Amino acid sequence: MKTSTAPALADLDDGTSPRTSLVRRLAETPEVGVVAACVVVFAALAIDKSTFASAVNLQGMGFDLAQYGLIAIGESLVILTGGIDLSVGALLGTSVILMSWFNVRAGLPPVLAVLVTLVIAGTVGLIHGLAVTRLKMPPFVVTLVTYTVAQGVTLAITSGTSITGIGGFFGDVGQTYVAQVPLPLILFVIVAVVAWFFLERTYAGRQVYAVGGNAEAARLAGIRGDRRIISMYVTSSLLSAFAGIMVLGRMGVGSASGVGVGWELSAIAAAVIGGVSLVGGQGRIVGIVAGTILLELINNGLTTLQINSNYTNIVLGCVLGVAITADRLRARSVARRS
Amino acid sequence: MGTPVSERTSAPTDIAVSLRDVSKVYGPVKVLDIPRLDLARGQIVAVVGENGAGKSTLMGVLSGTVTPTTGAITIAGRQLHAGRPDHSRDMGVAMVAQEFPLVGQLSVAENLLLGRRPQRAGTRPLGKVVVDRAGTRAEARTLLAEVGVTGVDVDRPVGRFPVPVRQMIEIAKAWGHRPVVLILDEPTSSLGPVEAERVLDLARTHAAAGGAVLFIGHRLDEVRSVADRVVVLRSGRLVADLTPAEATEERMIREMVGSELARADLAPPSSVERTATLSVRGLTADGLGPVDLDVRAGEIVGVAGLMGSGRSRLLHTVMGAQPRTGGSVAFDGADFHPRHPADSVAAGIGLVPEDRKVQSLLPAHSVRWNVTLTTLRRISRRGVLRPRHDKEHAARIVKDLGVRLHSQEQPISSLSGGNQQKAVFGRWLAAKPKLLLLDEPTRGVDVGAKAEIYHLIDTAAQDGLAVLVASSELEELLWICHRIVVMARGRIVADIPRERFGKEVIMTAAAGSGAGAPSGRTEDAGTSGEGKAHA
Repeated sequence: MKTSTAPALADLDDGTSPRTSLVRRLAETPEVGVVAACVVVFAALAIDKSTFASAVNLQGMGFDLAQYGLIAIGESLVILTGGIDLSVGALLGTSVILMSWFNVRAGLPPVLAVLVTLVIAGTVGLIHGLAVTRLKMPPFVVTLVTYTVAQGVTLAITSGTSITGIGGFFGDVGQTYVAQVPLPLILFVIVAVVAWFFLERTYAGRQVYAVGGNAEAARLAGIRGDRRIISMYVTSSLLSAFAGIMVLGRMGVGSASGVGVGWELSAIAAAVIGGVSLVGGQGRIVGIVAGTILLELINNGLTTLQINSNYTNIVLGCVLGVAITADRLRARSVARRS
Repeated sequence: MGTPVSERTSAPTDIAVSLRDVSKVYGPVKVLDIPRLDLARGQIVAVVGENGAGKSTLMGVLSGTVTPTTGAITIAGRQLHAGRPDHSRDMGVAMVAQEFPLVGQLSVAENLLLGRRPQRAGTRPLGKVVVDRAGTRAEARTLLAEVGVTGVDVDRPVGRFPVPVRQMIEIAKAWGHRPVVLILDEPTSSLGPVEAERVLDLARTHAAAGGAVLFIGHRLDEVRSVADRVVVLRSGRLVADLTPAEATEERMIREMVGSELARADLAPPSSVERTATLSVRGLTADGLGPVDLDVRAGEIVGVAGLMGSGRSRLLHTVMGAQPRTGGSVAFDGADFHPRHPADSVAAGIGLVPEDRKVQSLLPAHSVRWNVTLTTLRRISRRGVLRPRHDKEHAARIVKDLGVRLHSQEQPISSLSGGNQQKAVFGRWLAAKPKLLLLDEPTRGVDVGAKAEIYHLIDTAAQDGLAVLVASSELEELLWICHRIVVMARGRIVADIPRERFGKEVIMTAAAGSGAGAPSGRTEDAGTSGEGKAHA
């Protein structure tokens, strides 16, 4: 390949002959709806309740956002390959318990406890990946097994009682502020940026999209799809365990009572709201992050508005419904115009 | 334009379908523009045209899957609500699609009666609610018998039948709606000669019984043999309306391509070198071999053979996309044993597979992503893609290959078949391979783009590439190849140099009784469509 970067060439014919206007380009960006919704919801809540935009509340949302966002990113990476990972929430709960158990019961220093847990989570992800690629097992079933087993492991280790007395390291990670910004939020932003870079700027990331878009075409084009798929499952599990550190630090105890259960559904919802196609191959980090933010804004907003928490899920479900409908309509109108 | 033949039978009841000022516009492009077209009862009207000429749009408008931008359609004198498939069906339009929307897991009987009930259902208690299995089965058998299919177990899931049988089931399904207008979209493309003749007979029967048939065909000899009238579409417009006597193959082709080149005199470049790029000895794989084959640099070698003869398998095995069970391959002078297509790509082999939609394209993704797929690693620096570089690289590929598009960011599925295929070629040529494996390189590609693709193949050979091209279109191989090997039952049974080229020679060899095909394995999986069997 010649690497001539003559500006004339790009000018000559970079394929985008009719300069599309900014508005039109925005309208064709799949994520525009979610981002707009985030802004509107935030503005509306901030105007209605001054407490909503207060520093304390924003910081609280930052903590929430970090833990949900991390697993949403992991989940989305798997969905991009055309799979699904139902285990992210349960694995997070198990990681919380494993870390506190290694730290308190086994007497390992916190950092070591974290490392061991990450290794275990990574292995679980590896097993997922191998089962899906080598044994051609449906991802739904494979991760459903882990979902069930992981919850069982949590209960078996704790027998229902929480593990107390964890090291200060966890609190340092989970509760520190850097210039008023919660440390978990910063870590989440870093992970998001790395994930964005991977997907948008590396050839391996592009190959992930290719595998999700058409696995057979990717294979015949010489892409080792299995490796991409396995590494996405591993990453997803690692991110669950990583989010577990934040959760553990924030709570201060290894809670046995259902931490993380059901979070995989929030993660999937965030991904879908953010424009990730459940068929695979489509979706971007911007959307995923915006989807998580929107869910968090609504969740927190309902609390701020003092709406009975029993109604929260109804609202969240409706938002999901609206999001996928809007996305469908948008995609259809774009398809019609082109 | 469009002097309607039906004028000679102008009584309104004799007109099954009439279109007035029907047009369809996508963005700036008018894909269909028909001021007036009438289809008479008792006639088989063939519609021919290049890909993208508007044939599918025309059928879509009639069957309700496409909403026309303007115009009115009447069927048997009644106004059709455009864009409603259910209404079209109720009005008596039945379409046999090229890609069959059959439900693979359901049985043949259930598929045949999908969306309706057996006729006797209305007369039985609860008949409208409870599925009447026996009735469904009986009616399914009757239908199959009517279209001339015997020996099909109606209780088996459709997915287990090979493609030709599925095609016949699809036809029976359309037949079951007792249509006024029967639309056949290349119904014979996946059928053998016997079944194909049966379908043509069915069309004749339907016309004789007073129905109208709209027949879309690529095989012009077939069109000539069946049509009472030939309508030629080009760029969405009706450019010719021919009687059977007028519709010679030359005339049809001339009308289809317009003023553009008809069939250029094609001959492969004299670029064959001495060195063998690919040298295969005793290669075996599931349903293949043992095969011996040499392809020299600059040489274009054709692979002919009937469906299921192992053409695609040969290419896939060389590529490493199907596991090899024995034999050796030397590529570019060195022993070569790929475990994954990635090894082959790295070594300098490219494969343009047979089924573009399933095996080549990332349909939802941009042209740019599609053309850079094989060179991603090469254009990245330490694994990082530079957007600007990426775009320039893609722009160069698109420009070199003459792919016609608005923008390289548009989804590749919005291009025409020919342009998609050129993009796939561009993907591989950009990887600068030494050996190019082509499987049905011009399937679903219009005449103009075909010539361009042949030109690409010639140029590639001139640049010293070895080309191995498998095709079911004999003419194509006869035009472009230096040498043709014929396969039957997984083996190469003949190796024919250009001097001895001839359809008869190849067909005789392919039919398999001749030269050196001893005790071949019985191949029953063969009919289920090449290349799809090995995943």
